[in-house]
Amino acid sequence: MESIAKQGVNGGLRHGTGDEGKTQAGAGVSAGILRLLVVAMTLVAALVMATASETQTVSIEVAPTLPPLPVPVTAKASYSSAFVYFIVANAIAFAYSACSLAVVVLKRGSTRGSILPISILDAVMVGLLFSGNGAAAAFGVLGKYGNSHVGWTKVCNVFGRFCAQASASIVVSLIASVNLLALVILSMVGLHRRSSA
Amino acid sequence: MASTETSTTSTTNDFSGGKTAPESGYVVPSRPPPNLFFLDFGLRLLLFASAVSGLVVMVTSKQTKLIPVTVAPSSQIFVIRDAKFQHSPAFIIITMLVSFFSIASPSPSPKTLFLLILFDTLMAGVMASATGNAGSVAYIGLKGNSHVNWNKICNMYGKFCRHVGSSTAVSLVASIVLVLLVVLSSYSLYRRSR
Repeated sequence: MESIAKQGVNGGLRHGTGDEGKTQAGAGVSAGILRLLVVAMTLVAALVMATASETQTVSIEVAPTLPPLPVPVTAKASYSSAFVYFIVANAIAFAYSACSLAVVVLKRGSTRGSILPISILDAVMVGLLFSGNGAAAAFGVLGKYGNSHVGWTKVCNVFGRFCAQASASIVVSLIASVNLLALVILSMVGLHRRSSA
Repeated sequence: MASTETSTTSTTNDFSGGKTAPESGYVVPSRPPPNLFFLDFGLRLLLFASAVSGLVVMVTSKQTKLIPVTVAPSSQIFVIRDAKFQHSPAFIIITMLVSFFSIASPSPSPKTLFLLILFDTLMAGVMASATGNAGSVAYIGLKGNSHVNWNKICNMYGKFCRHVGSSTAVSLVASIVLVLLVVLSSYSLYRRSR
């Protein structure tokens, strides 16, 4: 190991291209792992949110003389436009990151040609995923706490499991979008290191 | 592992050596560095204007109306998104200042560009999240949600809803401009790279 390190120092002093190649390979591996995490997390978030559905029976008192009427109510993600947007944004991010993972793995040798379009699309995906997260989180906060000023009552005391699934999905998607942001920054670190001369 | 670490130190040494003698790279550039900074500054100006106008419109959107059913006049501001929204113009001002300093020197260092990209990306995330937040709540206010029995409120508070809607649209423009700025700076950094 020591001899390898010395060789690396000597090689770096003579011609730095080989060492930079090694560093970029290390950065490429970590970027690939991050991208794989993004693929898995966006898929999990979209699936968990899309499959979250819960039916509860709520007794509604129609009149004080009559017995309370049991009414089945269902909570589904497709009932809320914010959750639908969240699912669609996660699905788009999943498809894009799977494609970009394939491109990154296939074009491992020549990274300079593909680094600009991939980081640009990464930045666009950061915007998309963050806005989907914000929309779903706003809806989730409204469902959890309600808004008494405009008479929107909270629903999470009725649909406990649905709310747990939705919040878990939002958290997973938030981690995925932070990973995507780290990917953008990582590729910019690579560009910055290369442009130092 | 050790070889990777030494190689990073060697590259940083290389970098600091390049920094101590910038004239060699400045006088004889292999490729003329792209001067995109008027475009950058214009975009940043647009971003600043849209963020400030979105904030002002959002904060001033207060409408008091006497509803015949409930006795008390109710006035409201959506609390959820104001807490997030108020932070963004401060950071945007900071990046404006950095950009202003960078426009003073015709060829900014890659380090400045890198910091700009870092903060722009973070701000793009925050701004997109705030826009999604505001848009989601405003959509519920506009259309209501019959499944969970949330009534629409925009038929009562027309002016308030117009304020919120225009503020959301303006902040959408701001987040798009932020993503464009990231693209611009990364292109500029890419042109400088080997």
